[in-house]
Amino acid sequence: MSGSTLALTVLAGLSEASVLFLVASGLSLVFGALRVINMAHGSLYMVAAFITTAIVQFLAQPAIGFLLALVIAPAVVALIGALIEVLVLRRLYGREHLLQLLATFALTLVFAGGVRIIFGSYNRSIRPPELLSGGVSLGSFIFPTYKFFLMFAALVVAAALYVLLYRTTLGRNIRAAVADPELLNASGVNVARLFTTVFMIGAGLAALGGVLVSPDQAVTGGMDTDVLVAAFAISVIGGLGSLMGSFVGALIVGLATSFGILFPQTSRWSLAFIFVLMAVVLMLRPWGLFGRPEAT
Amino acid sequence: MPALTRLRTPEGMRWVAAGLLVVVAFTLPPLAGLLETILPDTISANFTLILGTSALVLALWSVSYNLMLGYTGMVSFAHAAYYGIGAYTVALLYQDLHWSVLPGLVLSPLVAGLVGLVTGFISLRAVRLYFSLLTLAISQVCFVIAFEWYSFTGGDNGIHGISPPDFLLNPTVQYYFVGAVVSVCLLTMFLLVRSPFGAALLAIRENRLRAAAVGLNVKRYELAVFTVSAAFAGVAGALFAIYDLQAFPQLMYWTESAHPVVMTLLGGSGTFLGPALGAAVYTGLQNSIGRTFPAQFDIVLGAIVLGVVLVAPGGLGSALDGIRRLAARRSGSRGPAKQDSEGDALVRIDVSKILAIRPAKSQAERSSGGTLLRVEGLSKRFGGLKAVDGVSLDVLEGRRHAVIGPNGAGKSTLFNLLTGQIRPDAGKVVFGGVDITGRRPHQLSRFGIGRAFQITNIFPKLTVLQNLQYSMLAHRGDTVRPFGIADRRYRDEAMQLLEAVGLGPAFALQAGLLSHGDQRALELAISLALGTRLLLLDEPTAGMSPYETKRAMELVNGVVAQQGLTLLFCEHDMDIVFGIADVVTVMHQGRVLAEGTPEAIRSNPEVQRIYLGDVELDAPQTEAGARA
Repeated sequence: MSGSTLALTVLAGLSEASVLFLVASGLSLVFGALRVINMAHGSLYMVAAFITTAIVQFLAQPAIGFLLALVIAPAVVALIGALIEVLVLRRLYGREHLLQLLATFALTLVFAGGVRIIFGSYNRSIRPPELLSGGVSLGSFIFPTYKFFLMFAALVVAAALYVLLYRTTLGRNIRAAVADPELLNASGVNVARLFTTVFMIGAGLAALGGVLVSPDQAVTGGMDTDVLVAAFAISVIGGLGSLMGSFVGALIVGLATSFGILFPQTSRWSLAFIFVLMAVVLMLRPWGLFGRPEAT
Repeated sequence: MPALTRLRTPEGMRWVAAGLLVVVAFTLPPLAGLLETILPDTISANFTLILGTSALVLALWSVSYNLMLGYTGMVSFAHAAYYGIGAYTVALLYQDLHWSVLPGLVLSPLVAGLVGLVTGFISLRAVRLYFSLLTLAISQVCFVIAFEWYSFTGGDNGIHGISPPDFLLNPTVQYYFVGAVVSVCLLTMFLLVRSPFGAALLAIRENRLRAAAVGLNVKRYELAVFTVSAAFAGVAGALFAIYDLQAFPQLMYWTESAHPVVMTLLGGSGTFLGPALGAAVYTGLQNSIGRTFPAQFDIVLGAIVLGVVLVAPGGLGSALDGIRRLAARRSGSRGPAKQDSEGDALVRIDVSKILAIRPAKSQAERSSGGTLLRVEGLSKRFGGLKAVDGVSLDVLEGRRHAVIGPNGAGKSTLFNLLTGQIRPDAGKVVFGGVDITGRRPHQLSRFGIGRAFQITNIFPKLTVLQNLQYSMLAHRGDTVRPFGIADRRYRDEAMQLLEAVGLGPAFALQAGLLSHGDQRALELAISLALGTRLLLLDEPTAGMSPYETKRAMELVNGVVAQQGLTLLFCEHDMDIVFGIADVVTVMHQGRVLAEGTPEAIRSNPEVQRIYLGDVELDAPQTEAGARA
């Protein structure tokens, strides 16, 4: 393999990992605090992507449209998230995992149908804003500017999440909820509101991923389950509830996908490879690379 | 009219509903023909039969799914994979070996069951949520294999153009053929869930921890039911390939597992045929709303699942109970009222009845005083914390031995080590001369070690009687039997024990409805049913009112004395400790601080020092208390 192919593959893997990190970190954050696996997480990502294409295609100025979408879509989706948390999840805390899985799974069906009714069932695609289109020349090859932007965005979000979790009161409460929800409840924090906030942040992260991915990939009706399965794999490999786990897990899955595609012999199996990896990690270290075993 | 009255019970209504379902299924072909002659423009008999065939296959698929979801409490996303494997078994044998579809049908449960066994073994390494995620991964791997292995499976094209034997070309014959296969499978599964094996599954669903404590190897039962469920899903998939004449990778995609989930919830996961009813309704919905408004159909399905989860966890099956209740109210008679269990059953204890069941040991026998349990240098660390640090103690046969100590002394860790919940880092536990160090909980119950938990631990949704019967089945190894009727076994013996602890009148109640004190009594009865020699009680009176505490301790004391049991307990309430114990061991910071008779412990200055300001050691109205 030549040096430039290697560099190209690594870069492609990193940009793939960037969007996956955004989505998986939201899933993981929600699981850590609420102990709920949100099967509808991929649906929120899809909804945001469709909202983005609608805004960009509606406005004459694509650049302004994209900027608007970057604000509006996460806000709308976070509100949807608040509704889900208050109307559905709140009634299921402390009940069997089974019911939470089934309820959020039902939401994926509702969202899939809703998106098809509102946005139609054909695929959409938009171009990146003028400023971020085109490519950057790196010696022997050109790499799309927009993919660099994705990596940059993921790093900014990762840093922001770190600050949120480790430097603010809200973050301290979230981490306390991850460690021991009962104790937190006893210490006078309004846990109900905290959970709603966390779920909104999680939904917002999924939406951010959806907005950012839409100039890069086709926006389709099946993107919800595709990204959900990838986010599961990342969270399981990295450890559910761990920010660092989502980061490393996303890198592993992103790079594995991109290196898998590189070789014609393996490209067809790269997807299977990720699931085998997920299964192996779960068997050896059920709480993931960076997660902590559950107390019970 | 006793027969009619019986039909108005929930059980009776279910039999009626099941009977109706079978009658409709059986008469569908003539019915469809009749409808076609009446309404030739709207109804086609052949099309109706194809729908009927499809509903039968879906019924088999979802009932097999419910073996896991409803009967064992496992959420799997891999059920579509086994369905797909069944379909591919028929299709590949037809395509590559030019076999007829019938041997494929016979082989499909074996292939799907084998894959289920291997993948189940892998996914059951994890529990609950992580189990579900692993099944998802496994389903995706199966999908990718089918999708990408062109030379073997035909890749994304799938395999088409299977031709069935000539006799199956007639839709009516095909319908009855599929119906016969489905009936045989359903009957097999029905016998399975009513058998002692099925009782083990229910026990696991209700309370995994307790199930292990009565002697069930939980993982092994879960693996068994996972395999059986996969095998029947394989048959359903094979039938699909036989009437739809194709197999393709999308059958195995993990979201396809939504179908059995929706059908199961729709019909009710709490009943055996509920999912089959769900399949019929689902097929109807799919071909009315689903055909005209495909996008809306997803929303309808989602709303159904959401509604069932949030509002009516019993599904359509439980709606029947609702109708029955309404009918009962209208006719003025009230259903079986939620029996009041506040009137403490513990008052009704009759120790002489316990005597009748198991001959009490003579005083001489009791005080033979051999060491029943020997603990040597037991240690356990959590990180830097030595929770239990070189603890040694001997529990003599027939004694009532208390372990006390301030919070964090390591009492609960010690109990968890003794009962196999956690493994020690060092040291030995010997019970009746056998080294039991590090044995798992289900093995310990076979030796005769019974445990009551800090939190009351019963099977809440089973009846009081079933709690005992299923525990006996599990303990005596009967739950390996996939035949017979679990609810008819050990009935008399269980009833006798219930009478003895004063729960006789409550035998038909759901155990979860009993008062706290009564649940404790039930727990004790379970321990007796397991032939316990050493009873371990971890804070037996935690969360009880003073009155309940007094009664519970009288019950324990009476049973222990009459049965010649050995008792090892830890407890915060010093009145209880000094009122019951023959021997007291004091723990402090993971070590044994002192051991001796209650009097010796009470006057031990070191013990008083660690308890100072924590617990009032001096029980009033005793000589020792007066002296201090």
